[in-house]
Amino acid sequence: MPASTGERLYVATSLADAVAALADRGPAGAPLAGATWIMRAPIRREELRSSYVGIGGIAELRSVEMTDDEIHIGACVTHADLIAALAGVEGCDGLVAAAGGAANPAVRQMATVGGNLCTSDFPASDLSPALLCLDASVELRTPSGQERVPLGRLLDIRRTLEPGTLVTGVVIARKPVQTGHSRLPLRKAGDYPVAIVSMAVALGSDGLIEDIKVAVGSVEASARRWPQLEAQLLGHPLDPAKAYELAKAGVGVFAGRESVEAPGWYRVQVLPTLVRRAAQAALAARQQR
Amino acid sequence: MPTNLVINGEDRISTRGSMTPLIDVLRDEFFLTGAKVACREGICGACTVHLDGRPVVSCLVPLATVEGRDVRTVESLAAAGEPSPLQQIMEEHDVVQCGMCFPGILMVLTSFFQERPHAERDDIKAALVGNICRCTGYERLVDAAAALARRS
Repeated sequence: MPASTGERLYVATSLADAVAALADRGPAGAPLAGATWIMRAPIRREELRSSYVGIGGIAELRSVEMTDDEIHIGACVTHADLIAALAGVEGCDGLVAAAGGAANPAVRQMATVGGNLCTSDFPASDLSPALLCLDASVELRTPSGQERVPLGRLLDIRRTLEPGTLVTGVVIARKPVQTGHSRLPLRKAGDYPVAIVSMAVALGSDGLIEDIKVAVGSVEASARRWPQLEAQLLGHPLDPAKAYELAKAGVGVFAGRESVEAPGWYRVQVLPTLVRRAAQAALAARQQR
Repeated sequence: MPTNLVINGEDRISTRGSMTPLIDVLRDEFFLTGAKVACREGICGACTVHLDGRPVVSCLVPLATVEGRDVRTVESLAAAGEPSPLQQIMEEHDVVQCGMCFPGILMVLTSFFQERPHAERDDIKAALVGNICRCTGYERLVDAAAALARRS
């Protein structure tokens, strides 16, 4: 449906319809999936856009598909659906914990994976660090075609995506890794975590770390990997206490963001403890296998 | 453009704008005032309704996304004139205080017990993290829900 009809929210009936509608609206339009961020614009004293394209009901964006090699998560899979689909799947414990800790149960029924990754003004996404440490890629669809980019790249360019670009899914390569996710909210629910640490680790038969990814969320404006810590942990046993000490010595690479919920220095100061907890969670996941 | 929806089993048509929060349609257009407006940001849970059987915060649901879908409000729980088992046990335990949070809590627990009829106390508390009671009446509420789980 063209934007000229004047309807502020057009609910697309298919992926092709959504891409065409977004292209038609150009910079004035935006996709709307779970709506949990966009509907709170008035609370943030922000203006709604003049036009949205609803994509939450498009069936092909709502499935989780697993093969031996990879897991494909549709952009409009909700946090609750993600938990249901991936609970107990090797390598996904951290991602399931991330989805299960975000917001509250009712919001988790609505908020989507794609929305969580694409909301550039939301620094406290739980899924971003959890998927970063799984080396996730993101599928983009435009009127002229489709491409797959690393999630880290999407987080860098998401503010400047061409109008009409739609994130359609997330792809994770299946690897024998154990994952942990640790977050520090100030309440049980209803607030954003001060800081988040996700970890994915592959241990060799000798118990030494063969591969490790650590990602940090909510501390800075966007989630990102912690390559310095990864390099220090590689080749050693996964020892949560040692990881804590290394993290404590190396947190200077982060510049905590200031906000009314927490000062920047506090976000950085809690990181070593979250690293230790994420490592403990990854070890616990390994023991359950 | 009018939006067709099914509210508590009845076909309804709303003429509100496409981005209107569902809670405002329910309360102001159809006078279903059980669900309450409080935070308008998905934190307090007072506006919780069931959308296609799942609990959602209706303050964050744009009307146009509900086209053709099934909406159940707290008014549906005693549709036959008899309070539901959950409502009955809440009454037995004298849970209700000001009533602001209570409709949302009933909707969350109704859904929760469909999946977890024998839930433990900690599970019940976890299910209710998105429902804020300004009277802080959580203890009796959880007591009542746990009692229902034991009866099941």
